[in-house]
Amino acid sequence: MASRYDRAITVFSPDGHLFQVEYAQEAVKKGSTAVGIRGTDIVVLGVEKKSVAKLQDERTVRKICALDDHVCMAFAGLTADARVVINRSRVECQSYKLTVEDPVTVEYITRFIATLKQKYTQSNGRRPFGISALIVGFDDDGIPRLYQTDPSGTYHAWKANAIGRSAKTVREFLEKNYTEDAIANDSEAIKLAIRALLEVVQSGGKNIELAIIRRNQPLKMFSAKEIELQVTEIEKEKEEAEKKKSKKTT
Amino acid sequence: MAATFFGEVVKAPCRAGTEDQEEEEEGRRETAEDREVRRQLARKREVRLFRRQTKTSLDVSLLEKYPCSKFIIAIGNNAVAFLSSFVMNSGVWEEVGCAKLWNEWCRTTDTTHLSPAEAFCVFYHLKSSPSCSCYVAEDQQYQWLEKVFGSCARKNMQVTLLTCRHVTDYKTSESISSLHSPFLKALKTQNFKEPPCCSLLEQPNIVHDLPAAVLSYCQVWKIPAVLYLCYTDVMKLDLITVEAFKPILSSRSLKGLVKNIPQSTEILKKLMTTNEIQSNIYT
Repeated sequence: MASRYDRAITVFSPDGHLFQVEYAQEAVKKGSTAVGIRGTDIVVLGVEKKSVAKLQDERTVRKICALDDHVCMAFAGLTADARVVINRSRVECQSYKLTVEDPVTVEYITRFIATLKQKYTQSNGRRPFGISALIVGFDDDGIPRLYQTDPSGTYHAWKANAIGRSAKTVREFLEKNYTEDAIANDSEAIKLAIRALLEVVQSGGKNIELAIIRRNQPLKMFSAKEIELQVTEIEKEKEEAEKKKSKKTT
Repeated sequence: MAATFFGEVVKAPCRAGTEDQEEEEEGRRETAEDREVRRQLARKREVRLFRRQTKTSLDVSLLEKYPCSKFIIAIGNNAVAFLSSFVMNSGVWEEVGCAKLWNEWCRTTDTTHLSPAEAFCVFYHLKSSPSCSCYVAEDQQYQWLEKVFGSCARKNMQVTLLTCRHVTDYKTSESISSLHSPFLKALKTQNFKEPPCCSLLEQPNIVHDLPAAVLSYCQVWKIPAVLYLCYTDVMKLDLITVEAFKPILSSRSLKGLVKNIPQSTEILKKLMTTNEIQSNIYT
């Protein structure tokens, strides 16, 4: 059945599927993992960094991009589609600010991206965007926000979520470990993001990239050293927890 | 000619009758040149079994020359990575043969630098206990089966197959997004009496390609064989997919072969980093 209804975006199958949109979601799974966490006073975005070719400039391979001073986004899926979406969102952020004299809310820009994606699921001759995005930031009211969009054009608010390869595994980890204690302070929220990524990242801390936004502060990208420090602390805490466990059993 | 809605040009069948038929028949008649091309292609697609060190070909089938009680075949880069990290890192494995073949899907003919990502077939024999493993395999199934298994029944042998398939090939009444991939499914021959390490593959799912050929062969020749099929959403070399094969380590065929699991995980991580293929399409 799929083969007759999966070539044109505007054709529904008899059982109500838009196969091109579903295939676009498979394209998202080909991108590396990205995780977003909404803390009390912080929002964290962590991504699995792709290993860069020797001659390639690392700065041009970025999964976390700022859309405005107070909003940033991580994506998973087709790189070129992400570039188009990011460029349009950045223009929209500035256009909004010039028109209304206020920065965009995180929800507004998420809705803009989701609407853009939805248009491409309903146009003849176009294919959907093959990316999912995690959009984080703080609104003027000081409340942290995390939204996720997918190729179908839907968007939802989340406390914590993951997209890309092995997203399910990371999401299950977050469901078990996202507690009030885990996000009690900023450093705990950062550690939670790194721990979630370490569940699926192939080669440890050196393949992780992390960005945070604190209330009334601009986006901060963690350096490789800072991430290594966090990973070392996490590994120490793990060892101590295991020692305690083995003491209890003996 | 006709144009479809999407702009493809489709040749409409001629309703005028027999005018074009004679021309078509002429085109279909095979010339000597066609026969020669066909012969050369068949020669190119032959499966050859030989020893890499001596470059001599094997006259008999592999299992006739190196009989064994456990034959483990890994097909696909994730299954191969699992076997090389968890099974082949324990004990001393001696390379006993290599199957060289070419088909339209092959991207390389270099046999010297093999990795789980290359489509090739290398056979190893464990010195301490007689068992074999196949590194990876591709097309030309019947020839491969003949060269490896030979045409007579193998007694006292158990075959274990490991392979991967994309989760979108898995047919189920549940929605794919609710499936917890990667997951293992098993398919066994009638003579395989051991309980498999995971649930059996349900209908209407089927097995394709070489694993299907090997299982069919084993069913016909009454050889106990089991296929462990990992459904995953990441077909390239991936740590989580490889680790999905871990339940098999408790099976009777692999229990005696696996000794050092923590070291295996380290070897697996190294394999991941050395085999990462650069692609800028997906980030």
